[in-house]
Amino acid sequence: MRYLLPLLLFFALLSPAQGAWTDVFHKEFFHPEKPRVEKEVCLVCHDSDLIKPQYRAIPAEWRKSWHYRNDVSCQNCHGGDPNDAAKAMLPASGFVGTPKPKDVPKFCGKCHLGIMQNYLESGHGKALMATGKGPNCVTCHGAHDIKKANIDLINEKLCSTCHTYERAKVMKASLMLTEEKINQLDAGLKTLRAGLISTGDEEKDLFRTQAEYRTLFHTVDVTLVKDKTEEFNQRLAAIQVGVQKGFQELRFRQNFAVFIMLLFLGLALTLFFLSRKSE
Amino acid sequence: MTSRIREWLEVRIGLDELVRSQLTDYRVPRNINLFYTLGMVAFAAFLLQVATGILLLIYYIPDDKDAFESVRLIMNQVPYGWLFREMHVVGSNLMVAVLLLHVSSVFFFGAYKKPRELTWVVGALLLLTTFAFCLSGYLLPWSQLSFWATTIVTTIPTAFPWVGDFAANLIRGGDKVSGVTLNRFFALHVGLLPFLLLGLFAVHVFLVRRIGISAPPLGTEEERPWLTFRHEDHPDGLPFYPYFVSLEAVMIALYFVVMFFIIAFVPALFLPQDSLTPADPLNTPEHIRPEWYFRAPYEMLKLIPNRFLGIALQVVLVAIFILWPFLDLSRKHNLLKRPLLLACFLGTIVVWIGLSIWGSY
Amino acid sequence: MNRRRFLKALASLLGLTALGAFAYPLLRLLSPIEAAVRAKINVTFPKGEIPVGSYKDFLMGGTPAILINRGTPGFVALSRVCTHLGCLVRYDKDRQVLICPCHAGTFDLRGNVISGPPPKPLERFSVSVMGDNVVVG
Repeated sequence: MRYLLPLLLFFALLSPAQGAWTDVFHKEFFHPEKPRVEKEVCLVCHDSDLIKPQYRAIPAEWRKSWHYRNDVSCQNCHGGDPNDAAKAMLPASGFVGTPKPKDVPKFCGKCHLGIMQNYLESGHGKALMATGKGPNCVTCHGAHDIKKANIDLINEKLCSTCHTYERAKVMKASLMLTEEKINQLDAGLKTLRAGLISTGDEEKDLFRTQAEYRTLFHTVDVTLVKDKTEEFNQRLAAIQVGVQKGFQELRFRQNFAVFIMLLFLGLALTLFFLSRKSE
Repeated sequence: MTSRIREWLEVRIGLDELVRSQLTDYRVPRNINLFYTLGMVAFAAFLLQVATGILLLIYYIPDDKDAFESVRLIMNQVPYGWLFREMHVVGSNLMVAVLLLHVSSVFFFGAYKKPRELTWVVGALLLLTTFAFCLSGYLLPWSQLSFWATTIVTTIPTAFPWVGDFAANLIRGGDKVSGVTLNRFFALHVGLLPFLLLGLFAVHVFLVRRIGISAPPLGTEEERPWLTFRHEDHPDGLPFYPYFVSLEAVMIALYFVVMFFIIAFVPALFLPQDSLTPADPLNTPEHIRPEWYFRAPYEMLKLIPNRFLGIALQVVLVAIFILWPFLDLSRKHNLLKRPLLLACFLGTIVVWIGLSIWGSY
Repeated sequence: MNRRRFLKALASLLGLTALGAFAYPLLRLLSPIEAAVRAKINVTFPKGEIPVGSYKDFLMGGTPAILINRGTPGFVALSRVCTHLGCLVRYDKDRQVLICPCHAGTFDLRGNVISGPPPKPLERFSVSVMGDNVVVG
């Protein structure tokens, strides 16, 4: 009794050092691993005031990006040695620096192979390679602050830089329905996951279909897109069947649990009235 | 038919006298209330955990390579595997909630005082055993949540000088959480703890019966000299069977109602996203927090700017909890007549809830 | 029928129903699971269709797969579903690897991950050569 009060008071007086302590606490109790991408030696200079002001914002932009969330580091794109500062920017270590506009597709195409191939065959790609002028990956997707791709990257502001928006509008319209279906299925899968239904295969199928569809867009060939849309819609319909099965299972589980809950509720009430009589 | 069986048993084990002494002539105080059923509800919850646990045991694989996948199969392929798994998960949390209510009500009614100190001590050990169940069971699905929450908790003993690291390594089976830890925790969860709990429970119930049920002190006060053993009787009380037994049955049925309400409408309440991702020792998720019943101690540790002090304090608090009947020697049972202790009791609950909520962010 | 008897009967009914509501799932859970319907799916190709160094895309029970004639090491049949996010890998004959066009996940011809984001190797199917035919599965 005599110990309880002072102890409670102790906790009530919250330590002002709490903020700093939380970091120490995390270090002491978690030993959390710094993400691999944060351990690269590039950041020592590039994320400090040593670097020129026009480049200073880059690490912050990168940290907001979809690449950062998926463990894509400086070295993954720019090459070089991520561990040794002396070798970090040597061509011998594979460092490629900032790509020139014409080299951007190959730069991003190191990983995004399928898209690069379609892009190079497209009007955009051919224009860029022939004249050095034209939209490359960075034009639409940005360089470091790359967000998850979505259909609104096709917009009037961006697409009327070189030509009228008309053709882009037509393209967007033909993509729209399929994109919406994909988003719907994605939302459905999320709901199933929250209801603890496993959806691994459907998720892979959906990602593959979406990736192939978006890769197709990079040909900027409306006729081709329109032709292939039916095929894609069929694939989505097949995935839809799987998702619907998932929802059926979810509803069954919910109904079953509600049934048992009501049974026990009835039992509780009956027993309650029974117990009252036996006084 | 039933009367013939009764006669058969009567001749062999004296069934009538057994029923009379243990059930119908055994009387509970007239002013007994719902809270007195919580102990039995907790035990029923435990039995449910054992039953569902055994069913899970048929399909679960206690190896770090297969554990997560085996749980996924139970949830998605084994017919009605989801039902028993969710009962086990929800049940483990509800059991702790019931136990905390049980402890609070025993405290409130002063039922730990002389001559019931031993009952309280055994009860405190039962609570700690339950927490050990929670800790060991949490790791078994081998998800991101399991892995990292266990990493935090098993690092805590290292705050103690000299023995800390040894203790932590003993618990983990190494210097960090791994498949070896999984094996140990599984053996603990399935092999040692059930028997420990049942043994402690047997002693606990024996003590309750032997000493006699305490009457709620809100109204009546009992003062007598403590010279000899005297079983506490309630001759003008209500028969345990059928009155109290049916009350317990109602409460157990309500326990099921709450359990299935959660399973029906919020099945992911105790299974957040991180529990649906397999464990990755190289990748720490952003917000690791222990389960709700550990959040207050966790937050407390975060607030005290010295690791050793924080943990030592928690050990001291646990010791106070276990030995409370020996620290509170007042003869007054009625908490409402002891404003300072009542304030501390309510204050502790408020602080606990507050820290738990804070620990959720 | 007085009130007590009614309540007792109701309690028994509900109790038995509750018991049954658990007994049925229990029985289903304990019964042997119908073996995963991966049954005996076999796909057969004439050996001649796939000369050394070339490959064939096919479906293995709904999963897109690839059969490659590696020459001396023999035939290998792998799932084309990349273990990263599910895109279909393509066979690069020159580098003797399988590459995923989505994020350049690279696998060797036994399905093992060489580089890139994939966390696990490609699923492998058993292949046997029976006379003039190659049988997968």
